[in-house]
Amino acid sequence: MKKFLALALAVIMALTLIACGEKPAPTPDPDPAPEGNVYNVVYLVNGNLGDKSFFDSAQAGLDTLKAAGRIKLNTIEMGGLDQDQPKWLSTLYEVSESGEYDFVICGTYQMPDKLKEVATKYPDQKYIIFDDNTYVGENENVLNLTYRQNDLGYVVGTFAGLMTTDTNVANINEEAVLGFVGGVDSPVINDFLVGYITGAKAVNENIKVDVRYTNDYVDTAKAKEYGLSMINDNKCDIIWGVAGNAGNGAAEAALETGKAWFIGVDSDQELTFGADLAALTLTSGLKNIGNSLIWFFDELDAGRTYWGTEVSLGLKEGGVGIVKDKNFAKYASEATVAAVAAAEQAVLDGSVVVPTAIGEGAVDINALRDSVKVAG
Amino acid sequence: MLKLFLTPDFFFSILRISAPILFATLGAVVGEKAGVSNIGLEGTMMVAALFGSLSTYWSGSWVVGLLVALIFGVLVSMLMGFFAFNLKTDIILTGVAVNMIGSGGTLFLVKVITNITEGKPLASTTSLITKKLQIPAVEIPLIKDIPILGDILSGHCLLTYVAFILVFVTWVLLYKTPLGLNIRSVGENPNAASSVGVSVLRIKYIAIGFSGLMAGFGGAFMSMYYAMGWSLDMVAGRGFIALAAQAMGAGEPFGSMLAVLVFGFAQAAGIKISSVGIDSNLVSPIPYVVTILGLVIFALVVRRRVKRQHSSAALKATE
Repeated sequence: MKKFLALALAVIMALTLIACGEKPAPTPDPDPAPEGNVYNVVYLVNGNLGDKSFFDSAQAGLDTLKAAGRIKLNTIEMGGLDQDQPKWLSTLYEVSESGEYDFVICGTYQMPDKLKEVATKYPDQKYIIFDDNTYVGENENVLNLTYRQNDLGYVVGTFAGLMTTDTNVANINEEAVLGFVGGVDSPVINDFLVGYITGAKAVNENIKVDVRYTNDYVDTAKAKEYGLSMINDNKCDIIWGVAGNAGNGAAEAALETGKAWFIGVDSDQELTFGADLAALTLTSGLKNIGNSLIWFFDELDAGRTYWGTEVSLGLKEGGVGIVKDKNFAKYASEATVAAVAAAEQAVLDGSVVVPTAIGEGAVDINALRDSVKVAG
Repeated sequence: MLKLFLTPDFFFSILRISAPILFATLGAVVGEKAGVSNIGLEGTMMVAALFGSLSTYWSGSWVVGLLVALIFGVLVSMLMGFFAFNLKTDIILTGVAVNMIGSGGTLFLVKVITNITEGKPLASTTSLITKKLQIPAVEIPLIKDIPILGDILSGHCLLTYVAFILVFVTWVLLYKTPLGLNIRSVGENPNAASSVGVSVLRIKYIAIGFSGLMAGFGGAFMSMYYAMGWSLDMVAGRGFIALAAQAMGAGEPFGSMLAVLVFGFAQAAGIKISSVGIDSNLVSPIPYVVTILGLVIFALVVRRRVKRQHSSAALKATE
């Protein structure tokens, strides 16, 4: 037995040595020339692919670039749980220390502290962080990509505000009441909300918006309870779920009551839902992380760089958008389609400046919420 | 304000919110009676929820899905028992490990499995479940015609009724059967039980298996009725609330059921209150505040009872 154990240990040790030895040597790519270059990119996912949201969207954009032969891509899924978090920092250190990559891409509000620490230690490494602007400008080698979810909310709000009184459509009642199930009462979620309310008010002065927060992004059942209450108590007929997976609970409430519609977020949820839920999803507000990364490489090849700054991508750059085929095309009246197009145009040419909930110049979110409060 | 609460759908929602917690609570009650602290209820529910929804999709029948969920609930808890009873690991740590499996492990599993069966890794099973595949709601014949009561009691998910029936079943099991006597004696004093020929190990396995079965019901309720399909961390703490409810109910089936209903009431009230435009951030802590208050009241009652016993014992001693 002892002999066997010793043998087994020896084999394991030998295997480890082989594994170490076989580690691929870093591809030599010392100085990236500006044009026609193939960049070496590593994408650090502080969660898992398959979220049908941010991480998948970024991956899709990078896959497009890879397929076009513009980048070499390595994606590392670091896991999104509490016990995975120590790995995030060490992975950042590893990829920076290796010096293999031209660009390190990561994202979301959970990464800036770790990124700042690492980016300060490796000033020659370039980093891109999407959907966060915590430490804009503090590191000259970091680019912050953010998305104007308020622009997006404005377009969705315009659409929902018109649909909620269009009683020709099944399940739409006469009351002009919309629903909003948010994840956490935080600036980014509220930025969606500010746009949503502003857009809805622009087309219907008397609109009411029932706003609830689930206070997490996973409790689908709780979001469903909120959705049921919105539909049964306040006659909401359109609910926008902006709460990650939990938001789907609002769609399930609409399905169970058969009295309301759902609007998705981040990705085209009509494509990701099963048939029942897809059938009652009118549209989705898209946050196109993938497009923004393609935009970055387009700009880079055109010789424009934005290191050390925040670039906020809106409708113009394709950073945000609204789904306009499938159910949208099927149920929206011509007038609604035209109004949505007009709202997009107004945002694009700057004739409408949508207020925001983020940073300086943020609106008073409480006052705004109160202005559309459902009377108790 | 009162009009808001005195509606059938408010009371209906209390029962709906309570059902999954009640399942897990019954599991905790029986486990605790046998001296087994099953911290892993949350994770067990997650695993059961995942395999329940997946097999519903594969078989096209919620009956099969429910059975598979129950089997996985029992399997996970048996595994936990194997580590805790046979390999002598700390049962609390084993429970923590099961909860981690329930969180990260299920995500890993669902990706591997769907990659094989669907050709692409899915991070949730929401897209696979349709309304037809969900556990059906049931109208109860006579009761549904009674005006208000019918609206409250009829039309629930099949499993909601099962949950409340199981409270009675659990009580019978614990207090009216030889097995229940064994379970209680093992929990009170394993050495004494073993000295009269009761197999402590066997009874502990039965108890943890029962709590796994209950977690299986709870998981099936979550992914096959409450929400459509499984998604990451969807049980969202209900397994832990069950442990609190077990403690609040003094470890008795009916007392724990009351504790669960108090919690269900608090959450339903929070949702109702937020419907009149009161900030949902203010109302979302209500269930937890109620839980803490409940525990405090329970502790005070117990302390008074113990004091009274002490003083009467002291009086007797002086006589």
